[in-house]
Amino acid sequence: MIFKSHFFSMIIYAFFVSVVLALLRRDDRKTQLKYGISLFLVMVGGALAFGWFMYFFGR
Amino acid sequence: MKAIICLFAGWIIPGLGHLLQRKFWRALIFFVAIYAMTAMGIAMGGKIYPIYMAKPQTVLQVITNLFKKENPLTLLAFFADMGNLLVYALCRILSLGQGALERATFEFGTAYIAGAGLLNYLIALDAYDIAEGKKK
Repeated sequence: MIFKSHFFSMIIYAFFVSVVLALLRRDDRKTQLKYGISLFLVMVGGALAFGWFMYFFGR
Repeated sequence: MKAIICLFAGWIIPGLGHLLQRKFWRALIFFVAIYAMTAMGIAMGGKIYPIYMAKPQTVLQVITNLFKKENPLTLLAFFADMGNLLVYALCRILSLGQGALERATFEFGTAYIAGAGLLNYLIALDAYDIAEGKKK
């Protein structure tokens, strides 16, 4: 599925980046989880929002 | 000295710098995450950008060759790919990561590989900071 869908590719990419950055930027487990989830949601939500925003510039 | 070793170990193999400092779980997660991203990127037909080497005669030519590419911005992709040093070297030797432009996932694959390289720079620097005692 990941090899055919850009959306799932983006989800998996956001997941790995969130995991690595959460481990790098926070020290204890609870804040790592909180930071990782919020980072993941911001990346996925931001990409979706930007995707819809581009609708206004469609030809 | 230990910090420098951890930095270079982490640069060559993701997580090795942390493993040397007995941070087993972090090392394992970094190793799996970076290599999974890279493997998926290559499987998607992503490209690993090589540096341009057209028989440089002088040091100046070596420097100017850096910018003699079909698109100068690929120099940035080269530096991103270099973040994953072992994979970069293996892909150059085994001719992997040539980039399959005809595939819809080419761009995403390239982004996966470059992203993994950039994250590995951060991971190696994190291992350096831990060894220096700036971080736990």
